[in-house]
Amino acid sequence: MIGVARFLQQRQDYENAIARSYQSEIVARNRLAQGKNEAVARGRVVAEQAERNSLQEDIDDETRDTALLVGAGLIAGLTGAALLFSGLIATMRRPLEELVDASGRLAEGDLSARVQVGGLAETAALGSAFNEMAGELQAQAGERDRLDRMKDEFVLTASHELRSPLTSVQGFAELLMLERERLSPKQVETVEIILDNTRHLVRLLNDLLDLARSDAGRLTIRPAPTDPAALVKDAVRTIRGQTEASDQQLVAEIEPGLPELLVDPDRIRQVLVNLLANAHEYCPEGASIRVEVKRVGADVEIRVKDDGPGIPPEQLEHIFERFTRGDAGLTQRVGGTGLGLAISKSLVELHGGTIGAESAPGEGSDFHLRLPAEASS
Amino acid sequence: MTRLLIADDSETILLLLKTRLEMEGYEVETATDGQEVIDAIHAAGAEHDLLLLDAMMPGKSGIEALRELRAEGVETPVLIVSAHQDAGDAGSPTELEVSGYVTKPIDFDRLFSSIKDLTAG
Repeated sequence: MIGVARFLQQRQDYENAIARSYQSEIVARNRLAQGKNEAVARGRVVAEQAERNSLQEDIDDETRDTALLVGAGLIAGLTGAALLFSGLIATMRRPLEELVDASGRLAEGDLSARVQVGGLAETAALGSAFNEMAGELQAQAGERDRLDRMKDEFVLTASHELRSPLTSVQGFAELLMLERERLSPKQVETVEIILDNTRHLVRLLNDLLDLARSDAGRLTIRPAPTDPAALVKDAVRTIRGQTEASDQQLVAEIEPGLPELLVDPDRIRQVLVNLLANAHEYCPEGASIRVEVKRVGADVEIRVKDDGPGIPPEQLEHIFERFTRGDAGLTQRVGGTGLGLAISKSLVELHGGTIGAESAPGEGSDFHLRLPAEASS
Repeated sequence: MTRLLIADDSETILLLLKTRLEMEGYEVETATDGQEVIDAIHAAGAEHDLLLLDAMMPGKSGIEALRELRAEGVETPVLIVSAHQDAGDAGSPTELEVSGYVTKPIDFDRLFSSIKDLTAG
């Protein structure tokens, strides 16, 4: 968000600079035009004088010679002014053309675009103003890249440092739960709250880390031959405790004899768990969630369907964008970060697959992903 | 009895791992840095069934200790524990023959099944 604001500001600055350059060009043109008018006015005065002189022609021959001389002078003067003017245009034209070219390059992202400063004082000033602006833009872009790297580094370090204490909190809470028969119901409830919140923190941390990696182009996968059926069963097992606690039905229908996938099992499992967790969190108690896995052409298709409240079209359109959450996301039950689907999309695409969603209010949701089978990749 | 050597620079995490692993019936030795790992292995004559090493420890890291041990010809299976999800992406060359990665927070069910697979037979 801050990046966008900065970009808009830079763009505004750039447009202002261009506007300023146009203004100074207009000033230059006005000055030239003024010069021309003075010459014409002077010419007109001289011409009137000549006319008066010609009236005296009959009276004074000597005066007529003078009038001819003045007429010739007038023509010569006007021609000179015209030549001077066209010369001025030519002097201005080359630097302006260069500016137009450099502005175009700058607009296309070549921040090293500069012009040769020269020509009239005005175009020279315009040229150096342009170079100064381009230099400033380039410096700002460098600074922005440096800040981006710092941000990535910070997220990585923070994630690393937070993970150890979280491991302890979660681990010891789990240890307590192993002896739940010796705890009072109140104590069990307390430990469950600790565990729920720890899991939420871990999820948040993982999502932020993935997002930082994705931004830095460092979201990586380690593909290995993977049985899609085992992968889906593993993801279903992970979420089953939560769906059972909400009386939700969770069924997996897996076509037998599926080909192996060349995918990073941890990452695809992450995508599946995310889709299942969304279905669980956005559906009311007693809802039904269904996972279907089958072969479609050279791909394996996995669908996660639910009979929940569905998604209105205006939200469905942006569902794979960051920080987009369904309405239910505003209720306390939903523990997500609004990043899960954006990350899922990046991950599926890294595998050469596709992800999509179909839904309508009152008609449930159907999220589907397709991954290329190993033989075809 | 299956004998494990675990290393982590956090005493708390060592306590957690040791408790859970002993509850599963393993014999557990602990170390807090890479040098202690090497010393413990020398002392035991490389008799451990599995090493569970934290990738990043102050002083000698788990990866560095493993490099030295592999150079000495110690072939004990190793699981690397790392805070990063993509533990294996950096600093884990294939010649170190790492058997698997465990990320923090630790999913103990998965850890136990990995250990079972690696120490079977």
